[in-house]
Parts: sequence; structure tokens; C-alpha cells
Amino acid sequence: MLDVVRMNVFDAIKGRRSVRKYKLDSVPNEVIEKILDAARWAPSAGNIQPWKFIVISDRNMLELVRKVSPGYLGEAPLAILVCSDRERAYRVGGTLGRDYLSVSDCSMAVENMLLAAYALGLGTCAVKSFSRIAVKEMLEIPEGIEPELLVIMGYPAHTPTPPARIPFGQIVYLNKYGLKFPTSMEG
Amino acid sequence: MKLSSQKPTGNDYLFEIALFLATSAQGCLGEPPLYGPFRLLDALSKLADFPDYATGLDADPFLKDIKAIVDEKKFLVISDVDGFKSAIDEIVERFAKEIKKRYLETK
Repeated sequence: MLDVVRMNVFDAIKGRRSVRKYKLDSVPNEVIEKILDAARWAPSAGNIQPWKFIVISDRNMLELVRKVSPGYLGEAPLAILVCSDRERAYRVGGTLGRDYLSVSDCSMAVENMLLAAYALGLGTCAVKSFSRIAVKEMLEIPEGIEPELLVIMGYPAHTPTPPARIPFGQIVYLNKYGLKFPTSMEG
Repeated sequence: MKLSSQKPTGNDYLFEIALFLATSAQGCLGEPPLYGPFRLLDALSKLADFPDYATGLDADPFLKDIKAIVDEKKFLVISDVDGFKSAIDEIVERFAKEIKKRYLETK
């Protein structure tokens, strides 16, 4: 069993980076399980849980996926394709569920994955720049299941410096849009 | 399926570059506009490696140097857009000097 990882959630949020250089060490199954367990505990609208996860660890398949994914940078030893079950989302959540909530739900699951992976010592990068058509063909994804985000992961060979954030005061308002939120936070 | 550890042939590598361009073109239809120049730079980087796989082509030191610059600076697209644009200017400037050297000074 994996040791219980204890990391302050704010440390995980601020420490996580999008990693694009990886070591080739493989990721143990129990680590993958733990990350996916975190994913499935993400919130979802109406508890639809519209997600499906395809773990891609076979080197040949990974290489093929990489070749049709211009945004897949670096040779990560593992990728997890997060898909939405649009049919289920429609059955339970109507057009809003199918067209919008399924995407936001999967995004929340992905954030859980990124943070969990970071807490377990892994680097990740969430990629949308892949060919949906080619990925569906290669992974034999049926109609009604839509690839949303490809999470590439592995042990980081390089951790990038954090890119700048839009200043707090430019994005946070109090009570009405545009009204300043009092803060001591800089930058 | 070929083993991923096998070195691609020249034809394999050419096919992969073509595939990269096709999937990038598809992506560029909806992606942030700056991803377009980023993909082109990435393609340039891949193209510079082509002689490593193809027979009958000599490695081009100039292109290898350009590749090194591209690989070092392409990720500025995420953190420093002005720096990214300057890097493209720098690359094109190097090409301009090189084309003069190759096609004017030798004739």
C-alpha cells in the first residue's frame, strides 16, 4: 500500500507546474489508482459523474497518441485520457449536462488528478491540443464518449518556474463587478 | 506496430512530420492564435532533425543551431509573449543573415 501522503492543499495548488520534461521511470499502478481515485471524487453537477478514464501506459500506444497530439511535449511514460460520457450527461442533465456540465465536471476531475499527482511526486501537464478524431480512432472510443483532456504524467526531469499570475486586484471584486476587494495580497 | 524504441527510418520521420503538421493545422482552427507560431517553431525543430534519419542528407549545422534556439525559447509562449515574439524575430534575423551568406556571398 502507498504511504499516506500529507501535503498542505495550498502547497499543492501553488507548487504544481505544467511539466514538459520527464524521466522515463514508469509510474506504479498503485500510484495511478490513487490519482484516479482522487479524480472520481471530484464534484459533478447533479452527481452525474460523466467521466471515463483511459490509462495509456503501453509505450507503443503512448507513442502513437503523442504523434497525433501536437501539445504532448516531452516523453512522459504515462498519459490518462479523460473523456466525458456525453450520452449519460444528456440522459441525466439534458443539453446543459451534455454540452457544458460534462466539460466542467471533467475539468474538476482533472484538477484533482493534477494535485494528487503532484502530492505523489509526479509532474503532469493537461493537454487539449490533440487530434480528437485520431485519438478516438486509435483508442477505439465509441460514439457518445468524448475525449476532453489528455493528462500526461511522469516523474519530472525539470520543474519550470511559475508563470506570472494576473494581479489579484484585477480579477477579484466585492459585491459588484469592478468594486475593489480589500486585500493585502500583492501581485 | 513498430516498437517505439526502434529508430525511425527517413520515411517514418517524414510521415511523422507530415502528421504533426496535419494535426497542428486541425488544432489551429480553434486553439489560441499564438499556438500557430508555436507549432510552426516546433515543426522547424523537428525538421532540423530530418537528416539524422534520412539517407543522402547532410546534417545542417545552421539548422541545428536554430533548433537549439527554438527548443530553448519556444515555451516563452506561455510565460513571456513578448519574449516569444522577440525569439521569432531573432530566428528570422538569423535566417536572413544565413540566406545572404548562402546565396549572395558565395555567388
